[in-house]
Amino acid sequence: MNMLLDGFIAPLDDFLAASVRTATPLALAALGECVTERSGVINIGLEGSIICGALAATIAAGSVGVSVGFAAGLTAGLLVTVLFALFTVYLRADQIITGTAITLLSLGLTGLLYKSVYGSTGVGLTTPTTSAVEVPLLSSIPLVGRALFAQPLVTYALYLLVPAMAWWFFRTHGGLALRAVGESPDAAMAAGVQPRRVQALAVLFGGAMAGLAGATLVLAQSGTFVENMSAGKGFIAIAIVVLGRWTPFGVAGAALLFGAASALQYLFQSLGWNAVPYQLFLVLPYVLTLIVLARASGRTAAPAALARRELTLG
Amino acid sequence: MNATFALFRLAYRNAIACVAVAAIALSTAACGGSADTDGVGAQNGSFKVALLTPGPITDQAWNAGAYAGLVAIKDSLGASISHIQTRTPAEFEENFRQYGAQGYALVIGHGFEFQDAAMRVAPDYPNTVFVCTSGNTTGPNLAGMNFAFEEASYQAGMIAGQLTKTGTIGAIGGQELPPVRASFIAFERGAKLTNPDVNVLVSYLGTWDDVSAGKEQTLAQVARGADIVFQNADAAGLGIFAAARERNVLTFGANANQNDIAPEHIIGSVYIDLPKALMSVARDVQGGTFTSTIYQFGLRANVVSLVINPRLADRIPPALLARVDSVGNAIREGRFSEMNDVLQPADRRQDSAAGTP
Repeated sequence: MNMLLDGFIAPLDDFLAASVRTATPLALAALGECVTERSGVINIGLEGSIICGALAATIAAGSVGVSVGFAAGLTAGLLVTVLFALFTVYLRADQIITGTAITLLSLGLTGLLYKSVYGSTGVGLTTPTTSAVEVPLLSSIPLVGRALFAQPLVTYALYLLVPAMAWWFFRTHGGLALRAVGESPDAAMAAGVQPRRVQALAVLFGGAMAGLAGATLVLAQSGTFVENMSAGKGFIAIAIVVLGRWTPFGVAGAALLFGAASALQYLFQSLGWNAVPYQLFLVLPYVLTLIVLARASGRTAAPAALARRELTLG
Repeated sequence: MNATFALFRLAYRNAIACVAVAAIALSTAACGGSADTDGVGAQNGSFKVALLTPGPITDQAWNAGAYAGLVAIKDSLGASISHIQTRTPAEFEENFRQYGAQGYALVIGHGFEFQDAAMRVAPDYPNTVFVCTSGNTTGPNLAGMNFAFEEASYQAGMIAGQLTKTGTIGAIGGQELPPVRASFIAFERGAKLTNPDVNVLVSYLGTWDDVSAGKEQTLAQVARGADIVFQNADAAGLGIFAAARERNVLTFGANANQNDIAPEHIIGSVYIDLPKALMSVARDVQGGTFTSTIYQFGLRANVVSLVINPRLADRIPPALLARVDSVGNAIREGRFSEMNDVLQPADRRQDSAAGTP
């Protein structure tokens, strides 16, 4: 009996820990995008911020240290979105086209920079990484303790960020202004809010968070940089925002779900359960997103002015 | 009047913005991640060789080896070379056509996945030779190049089978391509030769780029008891090495000699001497001796080999090493039939002698 229990608990423990690890960078990027989208801007260039954050983190961590690496990743992600904010918020260019261009630009640019810094065939880098920090007491809670409380510090920052963001969204003037701009820029303007400024700040925040997600991929997980290592995580983050219904807690939960789907796939393959193709688990969260979208078609939670090019209807 | 002007201004600004961003993006993508043309090389541009890789040439593995081969072709044969990194099958075909139209003599699609596109494009450019590595189809100007990766994978399996302390070993691949699957089967059989009770876990990542997926998949296998993990995942393989360091398990390098990437954890590399293989085909094309065939490169041609990491060599008992070598000799002499059903049919033909027409 005990053996049977062990045989079940041990994989579950690993699975939960892997879920949280995989979800962390996704949640960071998605929370940032959540703020951006609440202001009425959809940033498809998120992938670009992630990959730039990853490269900047790699270079900075290798030459200075891990904490500087995180700061560098955040800054790089932010700088990428300066370009995006300039074109979409101030010049009112099409958000989808600009975002796509920024993603392509970043994937190309990081490859170019990586080769110019480390040579044309790369080096198989090993960068310093943060190790997991166990929270005393909490980490010894059965089952979920180690999964939730034996993680790198950046994950704990996320635990604080989610409730803080929820409070800010729905309980402060700043949050109200943000949501107002995303729903009706005209009304916001009439109430004395400057929509462009709000949108620009929201876009920059999203970029910084995506850059932090990229830094996490390198400094808290893989310990190396590889071209295209963002591997579509920016786009997954956008899906997570939809699934999370544009609320911080919803987004965090959706990110965990996406992380869990990946972890489940790792677990099943390692258990040798190959009867079900692994691809099925990878599409699972997307199917869920579609279902949520379809169910909510009548009463959408999306900001009304999302992706709108003209700021005012006048 | 005012409204028209505003509209005009809006349209004008948008057009400028979109064009500007798109232009920057495309130009950077063209010279950065995607393509670098080293248009030096041959005078008169007589002998032009192009390489398409499915991933970045900074992967320290499959793609890096091919790029080294391309550079060798430039240096030794005086060719002018071009490399492009491609992503999707639609791009494969488009790039093949581009090179065909530009009069390239030899275009190499680096991987099994390029084969369908090459088959479609080859008839339209009869003066260009298209070669797909790991390909198994031929046409008048289309050749395949088969690496018997399985042979050295079998040897790696023999070592893993005997060295495992837990009795469980793993294998992790990028995408489930036939050559990858075949090499894992060979690895498993090799392991069962030295350890009939060994348990082999096989996982695929579904990607060649996602390092964190590589790491997580390895952690999952290690959690299930694997203490040696074989891999064939290109850039994502770097994540497998990261996990091996973190959990102190052993692993193997693949495609290139990766022993130095994690010198304390890589027992050896299943090495493909891609420069040697690509050079021999390029020589045939340049010398006019190209015939449509499937080039066979394995242990016998000394293109595929298992390169033991000297720093961990003392972990392999001499008797095991002798056994591995004797299997290697049997393969070279064509006396080894354990894998006949695994290898693709063409594999059973004799190895081409690398470097001779």
